[in-house]
Amino acid sequence: MQKFSFNRRLVIIIVCLIVSFALMTVSVVIRNKRSTPPLIQQFGNDIVGLADRVVALPANGLSGSVSSVSELLNTYQENQQLKKQVSELAQTKVRDQTLAKENKQLKQQVKLNDSLTDYTAVSAAVITRTPSSWQNQVVINKGSSAGVQKNMPVMSGSGLIGRVAEVNKTNSKVELITDNNDSANRFAVQITTKSGATVNGVLSGYKSATGQITMNNITTKAKIHKGDKVVTSGLGGVTPKGLYVGKVAETGGDDYGLSTKLYITPATDLTDLNIVTVAVTKQ
Amino acid sequence: MYRLSKLRFGFPIGLLIMLLLDGSLSHIFSSQMFNYPTVMVSHLVVLWLVTAVLYEENVTMPLGRWAIVAGAVFDLYYTGIFGVYIFIFPLVVYVTRIMVTYISPNFLSGLLIYFIDITLVEGLGFLASRVVHMTVISGSSFLVNTLGPTLALNLALYVILYFPIRWVYNWLN
Repeated sequence: MQKFSFNRRLVIIIVCLIVSFALMTVSVVIRNKRSTPPLIQQFGNDIVGLADRVVALPANGLSGSVSSVSELLNTYQENQQLKKQVSELAQTKVRDQTLAKENKQLKQQVKLNDSLTDYTAVSAAVITRTPSSWQNQVVINKGSSAGVQKNMPVMSGSGLIGRVAEVNKTNSKVELITDNNDSANRFAVQITTKSGATVNGVLSGYKSATGQITMNNITTKAKIHKGDKVVTSGLGGVTPKGLYVGKVAETGGDDYGLSTKLYITPATDLTDLNIVTVAVTKQ
Repeated sequence: MYRLSKLRFGFPIGLLIMLLLDGSLSHIFSSQMFNYPTVMVSHLVVLWLVTAVLYEENVTMPLGRWAIVAGAVFDLYYTGIFGVYIFIFPLVVYVTRIMVTYISPNFLSGLLIYFIDITLVEGLGFLASRVVHMTVISGSSFLVNTLGPTLALNLALYVILYFPIRWVYNWLN
């Protein structure tokens, strides 16, 4: 009898392991291949998301009021600095408007409807974050009903923070660029150097020790300097052109000395996200 | 007496709140908890399940089933990879129940049991992530950068929340 029960336990353990592996594999495949998760999963996620808003609202409100008190202390200094910046910004904004208008007129003349730089911004609030050290994901409160689709880039503040990994009806998961997994989308980016040359490349990972994004396999001869701005290039996919990623912090050779490796300081603080913007492009 | 007590509804509601609080805490304190490469992960939902086993004296609750439900919600809503925590959470309840038969549960022995449980959750979670290539971190840096800080945070949370949660259970029972 003892032997029988031991065998049964062994069988249960093995069956559980096999089912677990099967489920994991299937869900990873679905996550990588399909644009939306299965309907049941979407439905479940929407319901949990709704319940989460009830919990997250007071929690986020509390943290918001605490941080606003601490921010109040250095408001005066910040105000003075910002006033200077605002007066400069007004000039840039007016010029930007004029250029945008001119650009639109020129596009009409050559009958060009949408170019790579066109996108509409959808703002969303971060509800929660995945409590796991393996997945750097946040859940935002906009989903497919707001026009969000899989793989769309997400920004916060001034820079790119990640891409939409899973879309439900009313919420979606955003995979941050700090996520280092194999299936993470690599953004196509370009750098315009001081001499005017354009260097194209793909973001390749995140170096967690220094908090920098890495960019591998650059074979260009153009000299890339520290402080050069990195923006998305709009090539190959749903990412529009011209989203700010960060500044070049360090250039160096790769492990074999054949190509250049760049370290990029992200434009936004990736650990402090509250309001994000999804760049929705027409497909 | 489980059918008649407030625990019947109170326990699942508490479980859901703990599950969602895990995410909210990770979001609000993300600059402290996800200070790469050091990562602390809060497992309040495991704390809720383990303390339920510790306080479960004359009332037997269907903890295994609720652990499966919590694991399923965790997998679908938080990670998006189904089939990881849905097996780990019931396993933790099972292991805790076995340990409770050997060690009589009180505050200090509960701390030891919870230490083993968190190690189990994080270790198996790490193995599963390695299998599906969600992470490429080596075992030694997992021990130093994730398991150590996570144990520290969760044991601190256990010490803080042990008596409040017991009060809640007594009130519900």
